[in-house]
Amino acid sequence: MATTVSETKDSGEANSKWLDAHYDPVANLYTFASCIALADLHGDGENKLVVGDLGTGASNMKLKVYKGTSLVSENMLLDLPTGLVSFLMDQHEPRTPAIAVASGPFIYIYKNLRPYFKFTLPSLEVNPLEQEVWTQAKEDMIDPTSLKEMLEGIRETAEIPLSVRSLKFLMLERQAMENFVSIHKQQPIRRQTVITCISTLKKNMAEEDAVSCLVIGTESGDMYVLDPEAFTILSKMSLPSVPTLMDVTGQFDVEFRITVACRNGNIYVLRRDSSRPRYCIELTSHPVGLVRIGKNVVVGTADETLLGYTQKGKKLWMVNLPAPVVTMATMDHHTRGFQAVLVGLANCQVQLYRDKNLVSTIKTPDVVTSICFGRYGREDGTLIMTTKGGGLIVKILKRTAVFDDRDTVPGPPLAQSVRLNVPKKTKLYVDQTLRERENGVAMHRAFQMDLIRLRLTAARAYAKALECSLTPMSASLTEPLKMNAVVQGLGPTFKLTLYIQNTAACKPAMGLAVCFLYDQTLYSMKTTFFKIPLLVPGLNYPFETFVECLSDRGISDIIKVFILREGISTPLLTAHINMPVSEGLALS
Amino acid sequence: MGLFDKLAGWLGLKKKEVNVLCLGLDNSGKTTIINQLKPSNAQTQDIVPTIGFSIEKFKTSSLSFTVFDMSGQGRYRNLWEHYYKEGQAIIFVIDSGDKLRMVVAKEELDTLLNHPDIKHRRIPILFFANKMDLRDALSSVKVSQLLCLENIKDKPWHICASDAVKGEGLQEGVDWLQDQIRTMKT
Ligand SMILES: Nc1nc2c(ncn2[C@@H]2O[C@H](COP(=O)(O)OP(=O)(O)O)[C@@H](O)[C@H]2O)c(=O)[nH]1
Ligand SMILES: [Mg+2]
Repeated sequence: MATTVSETKDSGEANSKWLDAHYDPVANLYTFASCIALADLHGDGENKLVVGDLGTGASNMKLKVYKGTSLVSENMLLDLPTGLVSFLMDQHEPRTPAIAVASGPFIYIYKNLRPYFKFTLPSLEVNPLEQEVWTQAKEDMIDPTSLKEMLEGIRETAEIPLSVRSLKFLMLERQAMENFVSIHKQQPIRRQTVITCISTLKKNMAEEDAVSCLVIGTESGDMYVLDPEAFTILSKMSLPSVPTLMDVTGQFDVEFRITVACRNGNIYVLRRDSSRPRYCIELTSHPVGLVRIGKNVVVGTADETLLGYTQKGKKLWMVNLPAPVVTMATMDHHTRGFQAVLVGLANCQVQLYRDKNLVSTIKTPDVVTSICFGRYGREDGTLIMTTKGGGLIVKILKRTAVFDDRDTVPGPPLAQSVRLNVPKKTKLYVDQTLRERENGVAMHRAFQMDLIRLRLTAARAYAKALECSLTPMSASLTEPLKMNAVVQGLGPTFKLTLYIQNTAACKPAMGLAVCFLYDQTLYSMKTTFFKIPLLVPGLNYPFETFVECLSDRGISDIIKVFILREGISTPLLTAHINMPVSEGLALS
Repeated sequence: MGLFDKLAGWLGLKKKEVNVLCLGLDNSGKTTIINQLKPSNAQTQDIVPTIGFSIEKFKTSSLSFTVFDMSGQGRYRNLWEHYYKEGQAIIFVIDSGDKLRMVVAKEELDTLLNHPDIKHRRIPILFFANKMDLRDALSSVKVSQLLCLENIKDKPWHICASDAVKGEGLQEGVDWLQDQIRTMKT
C-alpha cells in the first residue's frame, strides 16, 4: 500500500492513472492534431481511429484507419492533408459518419472509406488590371518583357493580389517567358485560395449523432459554412487575418460561435448574426494550440504559456509551461463529467491542466505531435498520441483514476493566496495621515532640530565624563588604565573584586591608589582606601575586598570606585558599581 | 430442510448448489457463454448487452448453478465487488480478439484478486479466452501470459480457448469447474 502511495507522487504518478494499452514506435504515422479523428465508421459500436497521414510531406500521403492495435485500411491521398473531420451528412440508416479531408483548395468526402464527393473552394476575384494585361498579351499586343514590367507594377500597388499564374511568370528567366505566355495566354485567369483549417458545426440539433455542417477557414482570410448534403455555401464570414486553428460550438440554425486563432497572433470570435468578428483577443505571442473547455477558451502560445479566456475574451489565468507547446487537445470524459486540457510539450511530456492547475503529467518516449482523447474501440477514456518519430501510443484511463486538482501544483503555497484580515482604517489613522500630509515639512524640521539637540547633549555629557574621568577607562595618555569590577555573593557580605590593567605599551604605572565612596548607613567596608603596587603593562591585577550590607530592608545602592594618583585630587578613573540586593539576613 | 430433501442429499440425488460469478469486460461474450451452458430449451436467440447484471439458474449432471452474469461496461464494473462474498467460483471471460483492452482486463482481474472478499479464499477461477474463432485472436497461452496468470498461486485456475457462438471449448472448462467444486469442502 505504501509503495502505491509514494508512486502516485512520483513519475509513477501517471501510471496510477493510465494503462499502457499499445505502443508502436515504428507505426510510420506522421500527423498533427488537425488530421486525427475517432469515429464509428462501420456502425458497429466500435470507434476507429482515422488519420490523415502526411507521409514524407511530398509522397505517401494516406488516409489510414486503425481498429484496436492494427491498421485496417489505407487510401492514397492526392495532396497533403491540412485537416480531417468525421461528420454525419444525413439521416439515412445506417448512421455511419463520413470523413472529410481538406487539402489545397479541395475537400474530399469519403463514405464507407470510398471517395464520394469533391468540393472545390470558389475561386477569388481576379484583379481587373491583371486581366487586362493578359488580354493584351493574348492578342500579342505586348511582348513578354513589357508584360513582366506591367505585372510587377500591379503587384506593387494592387489591392487584389496577383494570380498564381502571374506570380509564376514573374519568377521565370527571360528565355522561358515567351514559351510560358504562349502556353497559358489562352486559358482564363483563376485565382484560387487554399483551406487552412476545418471543423464541424451541428446543423440544428445538439445530439451527439446530429447532422453537421463543415466549417472551413481559408488562406484568403474567409470562413465558410457548408451544407452537409449539398455542399453549398450556407454562410461566409471574413477575418482580418489568416485562420490557423479553430473551435466551433453551437448549432448553425440556432446560435453558434466560432473561435479562430489567426496568423496575426489574434483570436477572433464569430457569431451567427454577424459576418465580422464580435470579439478579439490580442495575444502577446503566437497561438500554437486552441481548445475550448465548457465556455472558456484555452490557448497555448509560442512563448511557453498557457492562457485561459472567457468566451468574450476576458483573460482568466495564465501559467508558464516548462517547454514549448507542440500540440493541444481537450480531454472530455462524458461519463465521468471530467474536462481538462492536454498539452503536448517539446520535452517529451504531456501535461494535463484543469483550469490553471496541473493535475497530471505523462512522460512519453518521444515528442508527441498529436493528441486525441475519446472513445476508441469500446473504451471511453482512451488517449491516443502520435509522435515525431512516427510512433503511435494508446493509453486507457483507469476506471479507478481520480485527478486531484491540487496534487502537483507548482509555485506559491496555498497559504499565500489566503486573504489576510486587514483591519479597517480608523478615524485616528486617517486624521494622522492627513496631518502628516499637510505638515510634512514642519514635522521634518522639528524632528531634525530635536535630533541635533540630542546629539549636542550627548556630546556635552561625553566631554564632561572625559574631563572628570568618570569612566572606567582612563583617558589620559600618560596613565592609560582599564578597570572592571565583579561583585560576588548573596549578602549580607559581598566580595568585590576589581580588575585593573595597565594598557600602556611598556610603561609601568606606579603610585596609584584606590578609594571607595558609599553610603555609610547602608554599607560598611574594612578598607575604603588602599594603595596599588606597581602595575606591569598588559597584566590584569585582581584586588579583592569585602562589603557588608547593613540594611535588611531589601534596598541597594551604588558604590563608587576611584583610582587616584598620589598628590592629585581628580581621579584617573571612576566606576560605579551597582550593588545587588542583599538576600541574606545580617547577623546582628 | 424437508425429510425428502435430506434423503435425496444422502443418496447423492440432491444436487449441490453453487453460486458462480461470471465476470469480464463488456462484449467479451459472458452472456453468450452462459446462454450456451443452459439447457437448449432455455436458451435465448438474441443477446443484448447486459445492463447491471442478470441471474441465471441451471443444472448440470452433478451441480445446480446460480450464475451472476455481470455487465462488463465500465460504469457497472463497480457492482462486481458486491457479489464477491456470495461467489463460490468465478468464470472470467476475455475477448481474445481485443488486444487493446487486454490491459483493462488485466487491471480488472488484479483488482478482483486483491479484493478482501476474494484475496484469502481458495475459490476456483475458470478463464475463457473467448472468440478464438476470430482471425486475429490471441492463443490461450498468450492470453494467460498477458494476464500474468502464472502469478495466481493460492487459487486453482484453468484457462481454455472457446468459441461461445458455436459452443466450442465450453464443456472442457465447465468439467474442470465441476471437479473443483466437488472437491471443495462444504
Ligand atoms: N466471433 C465470436 N463472437 C462472439 C463469441 N462470443 C460472443 N460473441 C459475440 O460478442 C458479442 C457480445 O457478447 P455478449 O455475450 O453480449 O458479451 P457480454 O457483454 O460479455 O455479455 C455478441 O455479438 C456475441 O455474438 C465468440 O466466441 N466468437
Ligand atoms: Mg452480457
